[in-house]
Amino acid sequence: MTLVHSKSTVITVGGADLSAFTNESSFGRKADKHDVTTYGKNDHVYAPGLGDGDFSMGGVYDNSVTGPRDVLEPLVGTMVTVIRKPEGTGSGLPQDSFSSLLEEYVETSPVTDYVKWTAKFQPSDAVTSTNQV
Amino acid sequence: MNLAAVMDAVSARADTIAGLRCYAWPVAKVTPPALIVSYPEDITFDETYGRGMDRMTLPAVAVVGKASDRTARDLVAAYCNGSGASSVKQVLESGTYTAFHHVRVASIEFDVVSIAGVDYIAALFTLDIAGSGTS
Repeated sequence: MTLVHSKSTVITVGGADLSAFTNESSFGRKADKHDVTTYGKNDHVYAPGLGDGDFSMGGVYDNSVTGPRDVLEPLVGTMVTVIRKPEGTGSGLPQDSFSSLLEEYVETSPVTDYVKWTAKFQPSDAVTSTNQV
Repeated sequence: MNLAAVMDAVSARADTIAGLRCYAWPVAKVTPPALIVSYPEDITFDETYGRGMDRMTLPAVAVVGKASDRTARDLVAAYCNGSGASSVKQVLESGTYTAFHHVRVASIEFDVVSIAGVDYIAALFTLDIAGSGTS
């Protein structure tokens, strides 16, 4: 087992690399469950349902044309391709790729700190998890 | 961010304040009124992924004049003012820099320092500086 630090994480949205402006991200995968318990059982019985997921990211605002505002704000409400490389870029390292609805882009401005941003996505359809070539 | 370049840039910008001698490192001898940019309290790497942003807390000490002089009081007040041509906060935060992206004068503490047997009023400025992790 080897620990992996998050600092090398790479995330692209619609082909734009937002890693340098990002300091948090979360990708979850889950599945529906169906209760198929019948008479005579003493415990619930479940059957698997459809898969689902969620993805969010956030970080420090930057006013360059490659920054989060210029990249993400125009994409709110559209489907985008998200590529996530949790261990960074490199041959054999894992990568998740999925189509996703960009649900919201939020900027927050704490008076004593830098402008921050967050974005929330709803993954749609299957996630392609592979190792990078 | 290169530490030496950051200290040089802060000192050079503060040096535009009339009458204030600025030093980009803790020199052995100063003649008040002077601003000495000192070494960072801390440097924080990896504020974002991919070496996008680092951050440091940089102190700068203004040694102004004899603590018992009213003129020294008036001068340190001008340096510590939130605005004005002699305001360290206004001058530093209005500068444009290539060594880093942004500086904020976050706070000031006051002290009396003894130089050659004379007590001088001093203002310790705490600078919050952020910049790229790869330049």
